[in-house]
Amino acid sequence: MSETAVHFGKRPGNPLNRRVWKDLLSDWKRYLMIFIMLVVTIGFVSGMYVANNSMMTTLTDNVEKLHQESGHFELSKKADSNLIPALETGEKADVVSVFRERAYEEAEEKVTEAVNEAVEENVREQVRTVITEQATAAVEQQLAGYAEMGMAVSDEQRQSAIDEALDTAMAENYDKAVEEALKTAYESDDYKTALSDAMKEAKDEIDKEINEKYDDLAERYELNKDFTPVPVKIYELFYKEQTELISADASYSGKIRIFNDRTDIDMYDILEGRKPENEDEIIIDRMHADNVKLKVGDRIKAGNAEFTITGLAAFVDYSTLYEKNTDTMFDALTFNVAMVMEAGFERLSAPLHANYAFEYKNKPADVIEEKVLSDNFLKVLITQTAVTENETEIKDYVPAYANHAITFAPNDMGSDEAMGGVLLYIFVAVLAFIFAVTATAKLEKEASVIGTLRASGYTKGELVRYYMSGPLLVVIFASIVGNVLGYTLFKNVVTAMYYNSYSLPTYETLWTPDAFVRTTIVPIILMLVINFIVIIRMLRLSPLRFLRHDLKKTKRKKAVRLPKWKFFARFRMRVFLQNIPNYIMVFVGVCFVMLLLSMAVGMPETLKYYQNSMTDMMFAEEQVILLTTEDEYGNTIETSTEGAERFSMESLIRKSDTLDEEISIYGIVDGSNYIKIDTGADGVYISDAFAKKYSIAKGDTITLSAKYENKEYKWKVYDIYDYSASLAVFMPNDMFNTEFGRKNGEFSGFMSDAHIDDIDEKYIAKTITGEDMLKIAAQLDHSMGAYMVYFQYVCVIVAAIILYLLTKIIIEKNERAISMVKILGYSSREIASLYLVTTALVVFVTEFAAIFIGYKAMCVVWGVLLMKLGGYFAFVIPFSGFVKEFVLVFAAYMIITVIDFIRIRRIPKVLALKNVE
Amino acid sequence: MSEEERKFLEVKNLKKSFGSGDTKQDVLRGIDFTVAKGEFCVLLGPSGSGKSTLLNILGGIDSADEGDIYINGDRLSRMDEKGLTQYRRKHLGYVFQSYNLIPNLNVKENIETGAYLSDKPLDIDELLKILGLYEHRHKLPNQLSGGQQQRVSIGRAIVKNPDILLCDEPTGALDYTTSKEILRLIEEVNTKYGNTIIMVTHNEAIKLMADHVIKLRDGKIRHDDINTQKITADELEW
Repeated sequence: MSETAVHFGKRPGNPLNRRVWKDLLSDWKRYLMIFIMLVVTIGFVSGMYVANNSMMTTLTDNVEKLHQESGHFELSKKADSNLIPALETGEKADVVSVFRERAYEEAEEKVTEAVNEAVEENVREQVRTVITEQATAAVEQQLAGYAEMGMAVSDEQRQSAIDEALDTAMAENYDKAVEEALKTAYESDDYKTALSDAMKEAKDEIDKEINEKYDDLAERYELNKDFTPVPVKIYELFYKEQTELISADASYSGKIRIFNDRTDIDMYDILEGRKPENEDEIIIDRMHADNVKLKVGDRIKAGNAEFTITGLAAFVDYSTLYEKNTDTMFDALTFNVAMVMEAGFERLSAPLHANYAFEYKNKPADVIEEKVLSDNFLKVLITQTAVTENETEIKDYVPAYANHAITFAPNDMGSDEAMGGVLLYIFVAVLAFIFAVTATAKLEKEASVIGTLRASGYTKGELVRYYMSGPLLVVIFASIVGNVLGYTLFKNVVTAMYYNSYSLPTYETLWTPDAFVRTTIVPIILMLVINFIVIIRMLRLSPLRFLRHDLKKTKRKKAVRLPKWKFFARFRMRVFLQNIPNYIMVFVGVCFVMLLLSMAVGMPETLKYYQNSMTDMMFAEEQVILLTTEDEYGNTIETSTEGAERFSMESLIRKSDTLDEEISIYGIVDGSNYIKIDTGADGVYISDAFAKKYSIAKGDTITLSAKYENKEYKWKVYDIYDYSASLAVFMPNDMFNTEFGRKNGEFSGFMSDAHIDDIDEKYIAKTITGEDMLKIAAQLDHSMGAYMVYFQYVCVIVAAIILYLLTKIIIEKNERAISMVKILGYSSREIASLYLVTTALVVFVTEFAAIFIGYKAMCVVWGVLLMKLGGYFAFVIPFSGFVKEFVLVFAAYMIITVIDFIRIRRIPKVLALKNVE
Repeated sequence: MSEEERKFLEVKNLKKSFGSGDTKQDVLRGIDFTVAKGEFCVLLGPSGSGKSTLLNILGGIDSADEGDIYINGDRLSRMDEKGLTQYRRKHLGYVFQSYNLIPNLNVKENIETGAYLSDKPLDIDELLKILGLYEHRHKLPNQLSGGQQQRVSIGRAIVKNPDILLCDEPTGALDYTTSKEILRLIEEVNTKYGNTIIMVTHNEAIKLMADHVIKLRDGKIRHDDINTQKITADELEW
């Protein structure tokens, strides 16, 4: 052969690129698992982002479109004609001047009366004296004439004559003389001077008193603080509350808040049907309708009035059905919001709630500005109602930004989004590490090939690109499929979840670049970076080290000496030592699954525990809060219910940046059967729930604020009271009355284990029973309960996939060794006991640690979650819950063990003998 | 042959040791030799004589402590890692005792991994025929015998038509007949493509088919002979 016969060909494309596809195909089970996990996660999170973004955009647009309020307030009675215009100016009332003027007016009346009384007394005295003197003189003169005539007059006769003359003179002249004298006196300068002096003195006294009290007034009404007027437009948004009964379902009873026809503010989106047109028609909240299975055309009763439902709506100010802003949780099960026409509103017999919505004339740019406006408007409201003449009180004040009924749904979506994002990244990171471990195992397995390729002149870059291509392709495809599913299937799943909890309007699906970046770009980059770091670190080694299979970063250590265990035990220990990095991944993966599982198992368990033990938690079965403690005849309201005892109650606010939480303050009578506290204690008791939620310990000082006054209460915590049903402070009733400036012996209502039925309803403000407290748990259970069960299954699948991927690596790494022990004559069962028992033991031990870590992590997450919600109930997983978590993951592992056993059985004996490289 | 061609590969005072202190072991203790272009050079020596280390240094996958290597005038010891990679890519082909084939690429694709590195690779189909693998070109490595796998690995090394083909015990894992087949192939490649071949072996018999025989022992060259009466691979017996 000669050199001239040499023929050259074309440079082929990189065969490693073709190999990428072959790699994916040859290991399709592994990549399919990862692909599915990524698609589901990316799809769900992408769906969540798309749903959230679409819904949030709709909600934001609706603020303008449906004319959402800037806030609302409720007064004890309809505002008088002066109050609304005064409030709309946005100016604070000059409380000091008004109080001063009123005091002056009152004083003027009293001073004039006092001066006139004094003048009249003086005049009458003077007139009496003059008439007496004149009458006496006339009688004396007459008697002197008699004496000259020689007539003797005795002293008695003389006195009798004087008295008679005086009586006659008084009867004839006194009143007239007094009247004339008074007239002269009132016209005299002396009188005017005296009156003016007295007034001056009285005013001085008033000024002195007001000046002395100014600091107190200034503090209460924040008179000296910076204030910018907040002009607003105020709208009547009156409502009435009635018992809701469903004509077709006798067992149901709830509460319905019915608004008068809304025309200007807080409008609504009718999702089905039409608005009411006559007095017999009503539209109700869509969410509540779904929950109680009401539809258009059904009839409901509000008190005694029956209505036909003509539409199901989402009211812009009730995207979440919070009955009261201070409620721990919304209640779309037994609370409904509705709207009727004016004539329909008249049909309702319940008392009117003088509720007003307001709208800032100058819209705030952000929440911070909104808070300033709201604080200022509250000052306007407080001062203007304080100076109103018909003694109006503020019953409620809720600015929009702090209104849970408005903000809870978007906030929840926001936190869901954040949580979903975090879960996605943790998940992608876990998968990236699985990829990285897989890549490491692959690099170790192919060390000779890599060495040869590097020796032949392949650059590190070419090999890095090749080894990263597989995982990246999987992530890219998964991202594409995930996004497509996100925009279609999962978006609907997420919106269905939201529609199942909130009263949301109809929305339009929007392209969400953010979703694409977070669910596609970020996972790809995350995967890229983690894989790049792992692969580049290994490929930094010289080709020679690859050829020699010398891939350990550190110099090879001597074999770890093991105790004189039996052969199998030592073998297993060697398997363990050899696979420590993989077992670390097993640990991380199982911890991740356990965190998810803690939520999936713990949430329903916590709700169940709470529902079951609520009755035990309540210190009394019933608490009746009275509107007044005196009946219309002035008698103190009493109950003859056995065991009922008086108590006092006030609500204060614990302020924080995230949430102003309502705390109930109880005044407890001496020797109470329901709450046993030391009446001589130096400080107050706080409930266990309060202590836990805000990490308050004995000896700490708590600071609470009055709701609508700038007044603070500071108390030292004497002890923690074992009461988990609500956030409460307990103190002796006497201390309560002193603290809140009440009269000695005053009280707010009765607590009793027996039902109190002998107090007229008109005196009762509200009755708190275990049922009310359970609303939270019922709503949470309704919103999340069903999903949590699915979530448990998802966790098991995720656990199975993670364990599948990791045990696969461990077995692959040991394929040749397994093949060799097969040749030596070990049975598949024995081999399984060497390799699978080690992993089983690791999973077993890992599970214990992971359950603990997952539980602790979930407690932290729970705490953070509750910080945004009112109320508290501890995250509880009973022992059976832990067992369930353990069993679920171990069951997943057992399935994988079967697959692994089949894998081991399929390893051919010739593998150990074959030079495959 | 010009002076340049005669000193196509020039090794000067090459030294290499492993370890340090008491455990220091000198593997190469001043190696000097030249190899001419197109020459079939055999490095002979017992285990531990340093022949594989020498081959690895020549191939740029290991470095010397001292000394210089010039290949076609290029000084290897001056090159950084990137330079060495490019050098291997353009000028060297490697054949190892273990074939190191990519298990999920077929015969042709394995050879293409070499062809991809060259701007002007040999015609692959023609090479497959020379290698006697044309019929097996779609098979995966695990469907081939050891000898066939080694042929693929030679094909992979030679397809980019390297200036130097470095072979590290290419017949070390093969039986007599297969070894002879491989040697015949290397001989054929050397004749057809004119590559310089440096082969490490401990099989004394192979020296008979080489142009140039260098014997090493304890890190030193004991003999450096030009074989003027070389025989063909077919004629080899051991």
